[in-house]
Amino acid sequence: MTGVTLGSGGAGTSQAGPDRAARLGECLERARNGEMGALGEVVRELNPLLWHVARAEGLTAEESADVVQTTWLELLRRLHDIRSPRALTSWLVTATRREAWRARELSRRQAPDGAARLESAPDPEPLPGERLLSDERDRALWQHFQRLSERCRTLLRIVTQAARPDYAAVAEALGMPVGSIGPTRGRCLAKLREMLLADPGWRES
Amino acid sequence: MTDPADLPLDDVDHAILDRLAAIHTLLDPPPGDLDERVSFAIALEGLDAEVARLSEQQTVGSGARGTERTRTITFDSGSRAMMITVSEHQDGTVRIDGWLAPSAPLRVELRLPEPAPLRAVTADAAGRFAFEGVPHGIAQLLVQPPEGGALPRVVTPAFVL
Repeated sequence: MTGVTLGSGGAGTSQAGPDRAARLGECLERARNGEMGALGEVVRELNPLLWHVARAEGLTAEESADVVQTTWLELLRRLHDIRSPRALTSWLVTATRREAWRARELSRRQAPDGAARLESAPDPEPLPGERLLSDERDRALWQHFQRLSERCRTLLRIVTQAARPDYAAVAEALGMPVGSIGPTRGRCLAKLREMLLADPGWRES
Repeated sequence: MTDPADLPLDDVDHAILDRLAAIHTLLDPPPGDLDERVSFAIALEGLDAEVARLSEQQTVGSGARGTERTRTITFDSGSRAMMITVSEHQDGTVRIDGWLAPSAPLRVELRLPEPAPLRAVTADAAGRFAFEGVPHGIAQLLVQPPEGGALPRVVTPAFVL
């Protein structure tokens, strides 16, 4: 339950579609009726998405974990207003961004040199390089991904942690324009795809 | 000619997106105990609670060579702030000293993972309370509202002792 599965995909790779929505909807209903344990499955499903929302806002790992947890606690009081799994996902993404913003403001005020922190805070920490990636195609993908704009990297980083049917809803909750991704490709993915298809290292291996 | 950005997602797109998700999971995984901490924190009875956000955390002392390591955590909700000092004992347990502001003789509960029972103390008139002999692990504090008032209880996120 506590282990981290390396190399597995986001929620998008598994159990997408109506089955998943029905399953999560049932968990929500049970939680509304007081069976809080039913939320455990929803937490496991959506935590990776919320984690990347917080991290992309430039928070440290510790701050991100607190923000994700606070967001879930805030959800409890809203549980009766949120009827569908998709509405839940949107609400959680929006709330996580709000909590992350709040946490960043707080740590900026507490930092000895507030101004320096203000300038450095909005940039997410750079992730470790592609040397950690053993697969050649993954390295090629990662290199091309780095050439996208920061806005596109943030969008794709977060949306890919969501279930496929929720891509558009998550993009919208991130404040991206309609059509950024899902059900159509959108500009960010179209650009990445174009670079990858022109790279023999990605296409042929 | 149709703009490629306006085409529906196909198998190549999904392959790219799935690998991107896997790479981000590999390079920046959530902490291994995040699911457990969240599930523990929200497994409360009843839904009405005001969340006390973690607002500051400081550690004093290294714990090496018999010096006591203490940690101060401040939580803030709209209606009340709570500061706790967590001291580690040589016997492997911790002591929690807390202080409510504004002060009030309220019931403070310490939730630990099952099967440990809920522990409860009442703060004194100055808002001070303490829990002794607490095991290491995750924990959560709840402050019950004054009786007869309209205020909800206050809950903290789960924190690791």
